[in-house]
Amino acid sequence: MSLRDTLFTPAEQTALFDHTFLARERLEEQYASLPHQSETAAFGMWVFLATEVMFFGTLFLAVGAYWCLDPQTIELASLELNWKIGSINTFVLLASSLMMVLAIHATQLNQQKQAYRYLLITAGLGICFLGFKAVEYYIDYRENLIPGFKFDDAEWIARGVDASRIGYVKIFLFLYWVMTGFHALHVTIGIIAVSVMAVLTRRGRYSREYYSPLDVTGLYWHFVDVVWIFLFPTLYLLGTHTL
Amino acid sequence: MSDKIVSTSTYIAVLAILLVLTVLTVGVSFLPLPPIGHVIAGLTIAALKASLVVLVFMHAMHSPRLTWCVIVACIVWLLIMFSLTYSDYLTRGSLPQMPGH
Repeated sequence: MSLRDTLFTPAEQTALFDHTFLARERLEEQYASLPHQSETAAFGMWVFLATEVMFFGTLFLAVGAYWCLDPQTIELASLELNWKIGSINTFVLLASSLMMVLAIHATQLNQQKQAYRYLLITAGLGICFLGFKAVEYYIDYRENLIPGFKFDDAEWIARGVDASRIGYVKIFLFLYWVMTGFHALHVTIGIIAVSVMAVLTRRGRYSREYYSPLDVTGLYWHFVDVVWIFLFPTLYLLGTHTL
Repeated sequence: MSDKIVSTSTYIAVLAILLVLTVLTVGVSFLPLPPIGHVIAGLTIAALKASLVVLVFMHAMHSPRLTWCVIVACIVWLLIMFSLTYSDYLTRGSLPQMPGH
């Protein structure tokens, strides 16, 4: 019997091997420990998200600025957007956020199979979001809501917008396309990242001891959700709806 | 990465609240409010929802202070940008024209 066998039970030896294996494979040399490395990664993602807040913040600022100049016209423009699909997409994104957090929760409990399933559902809901968005964009196209491409001044005058105020409608719709477009781009990047995480989880790369990439991807995914939470009332709910 | 494990039921409860708030915000948009009323209602509910997502789903509640520094700095800078810009846009027309304009 070797010294190792007298000091440790077989289970402890396996645990020890796992730990040292993990440490060798995952721990970069500039960090003292895996938690140290994971906290640094999460911090980096938070700083990146702060820059993203500044990016989207300026677009929200622009909507607000034009709203200050002419709230009535912006309200009429907002009423033409499809709030029903917007609401459905809000539900879809919120549900996907829950799936993401459950995937991390499952990994924390070493239930990789569960985590894999949750990640697939997260990515699936992201694709659903883009699908609904595509349908909405098509409806917008049919309803002449694309300034500079498919837009009819006469329709807006009929809706009660003063001819001299059409510019406000155009700038609001322009911001609608830019903001939802950039948001959809973020969702697309998120779907790719979550899919990669799903594959790596399936291969058993992550466990209770180390799941930093999963954690960081989760932060990004939830951030995309937070942006939509603000986009929804800012673009779709500015006016008084009627059924 | 927070080592604190939050129970699944907490996450599901938070999602339920988020869905209820979404229904509420859509409901409020059917009330005959003045334009500013819709903006205030929409953004207040959105801020509540975003706080829940950041605190619970993004684990900010159990994150180190360094993370909180980033969150607070982010909000402060955003407020500076908004307050300086809107101090102009919201007061246009309420001040007399300056000579030379």
